[in-house]
Amino acid sequence: MRTRAGRHRLNALTAFLLMCCTAGMPAQAAQPASAPSPALHEYANVILVSLQCLRPDHLGTYGYQRDVSRNIDALARRSVVFENAIAQASLTPVAQMSILTSQYARIHGMVSFEVAKDQVTPRSLPEILKFYGYTNTAVISSPEFFVRFNSATGTTINTGDVYSRSFDEVVNTRRGLGPRNIRKIPDESLEWIRANKDGKFFLWIASGLLHMPYGAAVPEQHRARFDPPGYTPFWKRLPQLPREVASNPDPAYNVLSRVYRNEFFWEFAPVYRLQPEDIAYVNARYDAGVFYTDRFIGELVKLLDELGLTEKTLVVLHSSHGDDLGERDGFFHYDVTEGVVRDALIVQFPGREFGGRRVPQQVQSIDIMPTVLDYLGIPSPHEAQGGSLMPLVRGERTSAPSEYAYIDRIPWWEYTLSKWYLEFQGGRGAHFAVSERPALKEYQAMLRRNFDPLGYPPGDIAIRTNEWKLIVRKDLEMLNRVSWWSFITGKRHDVAEIELYDLKNDPTEQVNVAAKHPEVVAKLKEKVLAWDRSVEKRKARYEKNDTRFIIPYP
Amino acid sequence: MNRKHNTTVLTIMRSALAALAVAGLIACTTGQGGHASAGKPAADVAKKELKYRDYNVVLVSFDALQAAHVHSLGYPRDITPTIDAMAGQGFNFTNAISVASWTVPASMTWFTGVYPSEHRLTNKFAVYEPPLTKLSNLKELSPNIMTLAEVLKQNGYATGGFTGNAGVNGFFGYGQGFDVYSFEKGKFGSMDQSVPKALEWLAANKDKKFFLFLHGYDIHGQNVPAGGFDYRFVDKGYDKRYSGSREEQEALREEGLEKGELKLRDEDVKFWRAIYDEKISRTDARFKEFLQEFDKLGLTGKTIFVLTSDHGTEFYEHRHFDHGFSLYDELIHVPLVIKLPGVTAGKAIADQVSSLDVMPTILDLLDVRMPEAAKNQLRGASLAPALKGETVAKDVYSETDYRLYTYKRSVITKDGWKFIYTLENKQRELYNLKNDPAETANLVEKEPRLAYELEQKLFGHFKSIGHDLTARQWVTGLNPVYDSQAKGASKK
Repeated sequence: MRTRAGRHRLNALTAFLLMCCTAGMPAQAAQPASAPSPALHEYANVILVSLQCLRPDHLGTYGYQRDVSRNIDALARRSVVFENAIAQASLTPVAQMSILTSQYARIHGMVSFEVAKDQVTPRSLPEILKFYGYTNTAVISSPEFFVRFNSATGTTINTGDVYSRSFDEVVNTRRGLGPRNIRKIPDESLEWIRANKDGKFFLWIASGLLHMPYGAAVPEQHRARFDPPGYTPFWKRLPQLPREVASNPDPAYNVLSRVYRNEFFWEFAPVYRLQPEDIAYVNARYDAGVFYTDRFIGELVKLLDELGLTEKTLVVLHSSHGDDLGERDGFFHYDVTEGVVRDALIVQFPGREFGGRRVPQQVQSIDIMPTVLDYLGIPSPHEAQGGSLMPLVRGERTSAPSEYAYIDRIPWWEYTLSKWYLEFQGGRGAHFAVSERPALKEYQAMLRRNFDPLGYPPGDIAIRTNEWKLIVRKDLEMLNRVSWWSFITGKRHDVAEIELYDLKNDPTEQVNVAAKHPEVVAKLKEKVLAWDRSVEKRKARYEKNDTRFIIPYP
Repeated sequence: MNRKHNTTVLTIMRSALAALAVAGLIACTTGQGGHASAGKPAADVAKKELKYRDYNVVLVSFDALQAAHVHSLGYPRDITPTIDAMAGQGFNFTNAISVASWTVPASMTWFTGVYPSEHRLTNKFAVYEPPLTKLSNLKELSPNIMTLAEVLKQNGYATGGFTGNAGVNGFFGYGQGFDVYSFEKGKFGSMDQSVPKALEWLAANKDKKFFLFLHGYDIHGQNVPAGGFDYRFVDKGYDKRYSGSREEQEALREEGLEKGELKLRDEDVKFWRAIYDEKISRTDARFKEFLQEFDKLGLTGKTIFVLTSDHGTEFYEHRHFDHGFSLYDELIHVPLVIKLPGVTAGKAIADQVSSLDVMPTILDLLDVRMPEAAKNQLRGASLAPALKGETVAKDVYSETDYRLYTYKRSVITKDGWKFIYTLENKQRELYNLKNDPAETANLVEKEPRLAYELEQKLFGHFKSIGHDLTARQWVTGLNPVYDSQAKGASKK
């Protein structure tokens, strides 16, 4: 295995050097005496499977007990599994762009749902692969990646947005606008592979199936398979809720966004305390999504085997970011908690090379692109901020390029709320109690006042090692003022300026131990602030005339 | 007309066959005595050790001499007989590339053997926030760097520098390591002044081993010959829209910078080239007088000569005038001649080399004891193997931070691909110098993979020397380098 890996790397390097020395010369002049075997980028395919909100700890290969991921687990056994992979941000378009460009959020500039096509300029993985003759196709079944809505003109933009750039073909698998079917399994990708098996391709398969409302896109026969027996959702049992909320068939935003630290708030008061079976139910619906996604992964792997593509295809399966499932504050991807920032990252190398290795060192999602390029024998772009994981995969080094991972909570959840949820859904007021509506109007106006449409929210940043996580809130005053928790509880939220969590002993971050470990705080704070300054200095800038877009959810 | 003509010259120079053609041309036209028949055959050099311990060295900089205007490099007009003669007897590097396109950063590389990013004389000012200004100075910016003069002085050499000031003035630290370093304060001075002073110093030091740096701005746009031009190469019918003054030249430079490009008539470009040629031919003649006096001191037989220029200059090749603001070949392709004592039949060497190689070459030829610090510092390599017929071709890198107006970096591969990156706007340019020596067709879109790989190579190079170009933002502002460029706020 090692020998083979070494040869591949050498060949790739040799090819690159040869290219640099001989470019422009007649081909025959460049021919060495014995022809070297081709660099991997000359024949290897790349499939990037991006799964939104996938929590590694809900997969068997990462230790989950429930039988939800047989196919992913089987894939993991023939792949390299990164046990501690960290997302760079908490929202899909932002975090995913870090993966495709190997840059931190403020550098690549995709800092919200509102960034237009030409505003994200760094080179992306598909763009670079195109230089090397790849055919690029995207099969996307997540609204976070495609249909865009120009709030100024009211028009929908179907292609040409940031995420479709450099793709020869974008297969749009979104079915419609109903609440249950905007997300589906991207199984069109299987047909595409069958039809294009002989070409050299980069295929991006992005699925938003795991995104809340949990389980909504899972077919009826699988959706309830893990439900606690005889369970009735708690929101259907609360008499004061209007039909618009009580009738939610799935654990949806309208319901779960009102849960803070296990209390369900209505009319600014805790009206129901969530019981273990309520949490179990939400997790069960989430797991139904994992189960259903896993079936698709099984079909994908089987197809690659059948077509003989496993031998020459690099498959990267990863989370765009994770999700909170009620461990602490609430649900979804509100903050930079462990649930949100820990990613699954499973890489099957062509011919199952390195299969079965597990990498415990911390890595960042910005390392994915340099790793892919390094393996293929393509130089990484100088703008890349991550590093190749190949030395780690090959066992040539033990220290990860990312002993420290850096996370930007950008945009703030409230910033996003102010743009889509409150304008398009909550704005209609139907999901709120009559008594909440005046405050809602004030809250909306306050959010608009506080967020500069061309700027960035103040820094909400985190640094993580496998032992510690430190979160720094740079504008605590503003954060507490605009906080969604302040709004739903009717009480000013009071988050700490500095949070330190001992991840070994407190993996769900229940206890802030900043006061107990001042020396750890000092060291990590210095590092994260230095990183913040370096990013701030070079962050992407927006001009007054830039058009802003938003993604409307139905 | 001029532009087209110049393209032809460059094409000849860049082709592989050109080296031979040029060598032939030199053999035919060398005016001075002692070529092929009288000299030792070049084959002898291959066997020699090429060690010249305790020999003298004279390094001459003809400031702003564009390679394309040197007759022995293919320019049709015979205006450089003295330089050509030395090239014919010595080694004529026909593809020598300067690390920078203006004097301050480019010249310091001969004396330090490192890139401008490393010696850090990349702008006249280390601080420019009027009223607070601070001149750049080598000792302050790079206290650990050893200069060529310092190494030679440590090895017992008398060291003298005689210059025209401006970009190579002592305030920048150019005098570091020189026993005597003369410059005319506030001027773009001429060899009319530096040559007599150099000869006086030589007369006093002729019995010692010495290192002489001789420099003049005679060819530079900001210099006008004493007594004015005689317009020897100007077409009789020219309507005299321009007179060739330094004010005109400066105005053209500033107009080009401000507007982004100039609009000049063909006859004006031709006029300016004629003016340039007059300056070159006068300088060549002045240099001939220096050589005659030098010979009278009995030093020729024990002295190595290195003739070169810090950068070229632009006459409208890319719609600008003057230099510093780009990295096109008219600004960074420079003459480089090495004349060894006792060798009188040299050859043209087409291998691409860098001005970075000057210091290691001189130290290698003189076989001096190298302090550890200097050894580790040198980025270039000795060209002595090339003199023995070995290949020394390499990829070369250049850079310019010009008056904070632009920040550019370039790489030229040894097989003739050139990639230029402009840091402030991420503009990328790719040229195939073999087919397009005038750098007119940007191939970035046609050759995306090559452009991509050269871009990574360029950034990788600067990162490897400790300058991560991605680590900062490159903000422009038209700050002056010289008082003559200072306008508005900078005058306050």
